[in-house]
Amino acid sequence: MRRYAKNDGDMLQGTLDMLVLKSLQLGAMHGWGIAERVESGSQNVLGLNQGSLYPSLYRLENQGFVRSDWRMTEKNRRARYYAITPAGRRQLAAARAEWERLSGAVNQVLRMSEG
Amino acid sequence: MPDKSQPLWRRYLRFWRPDTAADVDDEFAFHIEECIDELVAGGMNPQLARETAMRRLHELEQVKETCRMLAMEQERSMRRTEWFDALQQDVAYALRNMRTQPSLTAAIVVTIALGIGATTSLFSVVNAVLLRPLPYADADRLLTLRESIGGGTGSVGTGVFTTWTEESRSFEAATLVTGQTFNLTDGEPARFQGARVTTHYFRVFYVPPLLGRYFLPDESAESRVVVLTYGLWQTRFAGDSSIVGRSVALNGQAHTVIGVAPARFATTPLGPQLMTILTLTPEQRTNFGSHTMQVYAKLKPGVTIQQAQADLDRVAEGIRDRYPEQMELRGAAVLSYGDWAIGDYDTQLLVLLGAVTVVLLIGCVNVASLLLARAASRRKEIAIRGALGGERGRLVRQLMTESLVVSLAGGVLGLLIAFSGIRFLVGAGPAGIPRLGEATLNGAVLLFAVIATMACGVLFGLAPALRATRVDLQSVLRGGGRGSSSAVRDRLRAGLIVGEIAVTLVLLIGASLFLRSAWRLQQVDPGFDPTGVTMLRISLPADRYDSAEVIHGAFTRIVNEMRGLPGVESAGAGSRVPMLGTSFDVSIRVDGREGRDVVGHLRMITTGYMEALGIPLRMGRLFTEADLSTGAAPVVLINERFARAVFGESSPLGRRISGWVAGDEPEWREIVGVIGDLRASGKDRDVPPEVYTPHTQARQSWWNSHQRTMAVVVRAAEGVAMAPAMRGVMRQFDPLLPVFDVQPLERVIATNNAGRRFNTMLLSLLGGTGLLLAAIGIYGVISFFVSQRTHEIGVRVALGASTRRIVGVVLREALVLAVFGIVLGALASFWATRVLANMLYDVEPNDPIAFGIGAVVLLTVALGASLVPARRAARVDPVRALGSS
Repeated sequence: MRRYAKNDGDMLQGTLDMLVLKSLQLGAMHGWGIAERVESGSQNVLGLNQGSLYPSLYRLENQGFVRSDWRMTEKNRRARYYAITPAGRRQLAAARAEWERLSGAVNQVLRMSEG
Repeated sequence: MPDKSQPLWRRYLRFWRPDTAADVDDEFAFHIEECIDELVAGGMNPQLARETAMRRLHELEQVKETCRMLAMEQERSMRRTEWFDALQQDVAYALRNMRTQPSLTAAIVVTIALGIGATTSLFSVVNAVLLRPLPYADADRLLTLRESIGGGTGSVGTGVFTTWTEESRSFEAATLVTGQTFNLTDGEPARFQGARVTTHYFRVFYVPPLLGRYFLPDESAESRVVVLTYGLWQTRFAGDSSIVGRSVALNGQAHTVIGVAPARFATTPLGPQLMTILTLTPEQRTNFGSHTMQVYAKLKPGVTIQQAQADLDRVAEGIRDRYPEQMELRGAAVLSYGDWAIGDYDTQLLVLLGAVTVVLLIGCVNVASLLLARAASRRKEIAIRGALGGERGRLVRQLMTESLVVSLAGGVLGLLIAFSGIRFLVGAGPAGIPRLGEATLNGAVLLFAVIATMACGVLFGLAPALRATRVDLQSVLRGGGRGSSSAVRDRLRAGLIVGEIAVTLVLLIGASLFLRSAWRLQQVDPGFDPTGVTMLRISLPADRYDSAEVIHGAFTRIVNEMRGLPGVESAGAGSRVPMLGTSFDVSIRVDGREGRDVVGHLRMITTGYMEALGIPLRMGRLFTEADLSTGAAPVVLINERFARAVFGESSPLGRRISGWVAGDEPEWREIVGVIGDLRASGKDRDVPPEVYTPHTQARQSWWNSHQRTMAVVVRAAEGVAMAPAMRGVMRQFDPLLPVFDVQPLERVIATNNAGRRFNTMLLSLLGGTGLLLAAIGIYGVISFFVSQRTHEIGVRVALGASTRRIVGVVLREALVLAVFGIVLGALASFWATRVLANMLYDVEPNDPIAFGIGAVVLLTVALGASLVPARRAARVDPVRALGSS
């Protein structure tokens, strides 16, 4: 039941956005599906909370990195699907590069040996 | 799954445009449904699953709110961009249209420009003079205090002022002001109009000094200090910044300049240019016999004018008890300074502003009419745009944008016109209007111009825009030109023209009333004959002409010298000439009667004065040299008004009157003659009762009140310039005496009428402009009628109708419109001209002749304007007309 975890303070805002963009890179999807993708993609380590997922999606749309439209699912329900835009792809690449740089630096510090 | 949670109206709304809040709800609802499915798939009881999920939904309320806000923000910014893009499109389209029809556009732009220019100019004056608050601190508490006497008000006496200030409780400060002319003799000798004021003057009228300071309460006349106005500082002292502390010689006495008041302190160029201190002597403080001063005061905070009036009435009653002889008929009047200073000018200016707005309206109606006609030719274009999916609102907006752009162009041009318009008004307007010179194109005026321009654009654009888009797409696209729509459009245009005619009539009647009033004024006999009369004024300075004998002798000699000039028919001097100079009033007692009967204006004259001015003698005799000699019996002349008021039908000759005392007894003077009434105070006010004494019998105090000033009048043959010779006499007599107000008497009269003439001229100008616009409007409408009826006219001509018949038909159309308009306009005028009542001389606001003139002129112009299209109609080629259906 990690999906319902309320504690998402570990995720930085920008990191969350990046993951969302990445999951959308694989294809348009609605909010529920995005959460599923991230969960399965991380082997159940990361669980996206609706409280942070949807605001993130809306902000990404305001910034022009994703766009949305309404479609019918296989179960015949009406849902809002998001898709990444070219600007979104560029943003994803930049965020990814930044993440690599940051995590690399953190790892370097952690590998400092004592003495 | 149906949305049970949404109200019906929300669902309908979503038909028209996306509802962001509902979308958020839907999205979250979907998420919950998926969640429930998963729980159930994992084995949970469906009911429990739903409950768990719904609980979750409630906990997300805050998040939903955040999302809703984010979504709405996005929506708003998108809509804004859309709106701007549409606007840009519309403006570009409008500009393109304007270029394709240059003459139409030019006509509209020029009409609007003239209208906006004129209206803005006048508004600028109204703003400067009426709307802005006075420049003084606490201006709303400023008062003018006067003595109430004989149904009107008069100047205040020094004793009265002293008692008022000592015994009243309503004023924070009060000041006494009296005019004083000053000779400045260092450098070029020149004379300036100034004032002597008590030390609280600048507490009543306060604007922070530009340089230096104002009077202190413990300073007095002995301190010999003077404050300059900005104007004098610039013209006489060249704006010297080290002026404070300088010594200047005023009337021979050295005074120190202690300060300079800023430019906005003096509201008209006719006011005092410099101020020195007036300190009342103990004798003046108890003098209730002479009333020549101006008094201004400031209310204590929280005290109303009514309370101050009641307070001062109480004090006045006390004065009457203590000094019944002199104060019996006098009371106190408390007036708002602002109203007092403005006088009649507010009504006049507002009437002019109203008239010019009316002309602007007429212009707008003309433009609307033009655009309606043009809308007919754009039917196809608009129909196509409509068919291509443009909703009506968008089309209307686009047409309105066109109107606004054209209007704006007119407005910009109008501002340029206003620039010169304001200069014209400031130059041509009567000098007495306070703060007229401050009218300029400032922020408020620009704002007015912008609003007026926008209003015009909406006014003339709305009707054509609405009408143009109510087009029946089918019929127009199929090419059918005629239909019921043209008849409806006719009626609207006709209605507009009828309104235009009505409103033009109101203007014309207003102008006619003023013209008739001016004409009546010309007819009025002023009571004297100014042709060929030249005047000048002299003030004898106190230091060299101190005693009454010296003053008398001086004036007698001056008049004798003037008589000796070649070409002079008669010459004399008086303390006042009609319309120029001060006079003071005295309450008169009649020998043999109780109490005081009348208040008269007192004047001093030499022999020859009446003859020079051409004032007729009605009874008895004029003054002779014998009356002027020392020891002669005291005599007076009175005017007809005085005689009628006091003596009725019986002869006043030989009766004795007195307005003054010698010791304890009244000093009686015998009436030896009655002269004709003078319309002295501007020709149209009530004639005051007047008393004339020989100048040699005037008392010292009278000379002091008049500042030993007399006006010398010389009558010569018409056209002979006496001024240089008169100046020569004065130079010979005493070269140090500056001489002023040297002018032909006719100029004085002209200046006095300047205000009235200004009004008349402007109203006539506006009336004429309105008439021209109305003529253009009628011409346009009748032409349109003719073009619509080409077919019908062709038929008539083919059937043998004469030119006369055709013209008659068309003129009949015009006549119907004109008559409707005139009737409407006459009704409106009945109501509207009431406001002019005070400005007309001897003419009723509903004067039938003026109404008649207006109607006849308008009718003639209307028919004349229709004649051209009518003649054109008659020349229609029947073949072409019949073939054009």
